[in-house]
Amino acid sequence: MWNGEKSIILSKLCVLLFMALLIAVVVTAPWLTQWFVEFSQAGLEEKAAYFMATIYVGFIPAAYLLFSLLKLLRQIEIGQVFIPKNVELLRRISWSCFVGAGIALFSLLYYFPWFFLAVAAAFMGLIVRVVKNVVAQAVELKDEADYIV
Amino acid sequence: MPIVVNLDVMMAKRKISSGELAEKIGISPANLSILKTGKAKAIRFSTMEAICKALECQPGDILEYQSNQD
Repeated sequence: MWNGEKSIILSKLCVLLFMALLIAVVVTAPWLTQWFVEFSQAGLEEKAAYFMATIYVGFIPAAYLLFSLLKLLRQIEIGQVFIPKNVELLRRISWSCFVGAGIALFSLLYYFPWFFLAVAAAFMGLIVRVVKNVVAQAVELKDEADYIV
Repeated sequence: MPIVVNLDVMMAKRKISSGELAEKIGISPANLSILKTGKAKAIRFSTMEAICKALECQPGDILEYQSNQD
């Protein structure tokens, strides 16, 4: 029978899967970049180093985001949902998205399609930010409800 | 806060312990402690009714308004 506990386990597995994918991308970045510039046939050979730089720099906010997401899921798992710590974690996740968007935006200088990733990351950051605001309000409400006897 | 909870005074007058009162009014001892120590932000009418019934008193005997201006 499907329940909330199994849903959290599935979410954690997905996060771990993305972590593994991120590590794989970083480890294989030189080959991945080489394959991409050859596959694209868009004359990107001399820009391979820039692609690698974007991947390595982008790894930092992506790893931080996934780590924060895992911590958030652990809190939810133990029943600690509407607490200030989760608001802080959501804030970090949101800012990680914005930093990722900034990196992608900067990478526009050598490859235009990064624009789409920048927009997607910024939009994701915005959504998480709104969720953070909602959870912050819920924390306040819960705090008040805890002191109604 | 200018609203003072005099629950401990009434409990002393009626010679009733916290555990006993909590059981009578149907709230947890932890919540009763929140009420007694003045940390509560609000009190339900149902809780007040149960307290008044258990302690045979009026809401005014439990809650008191004290002006900040002395």
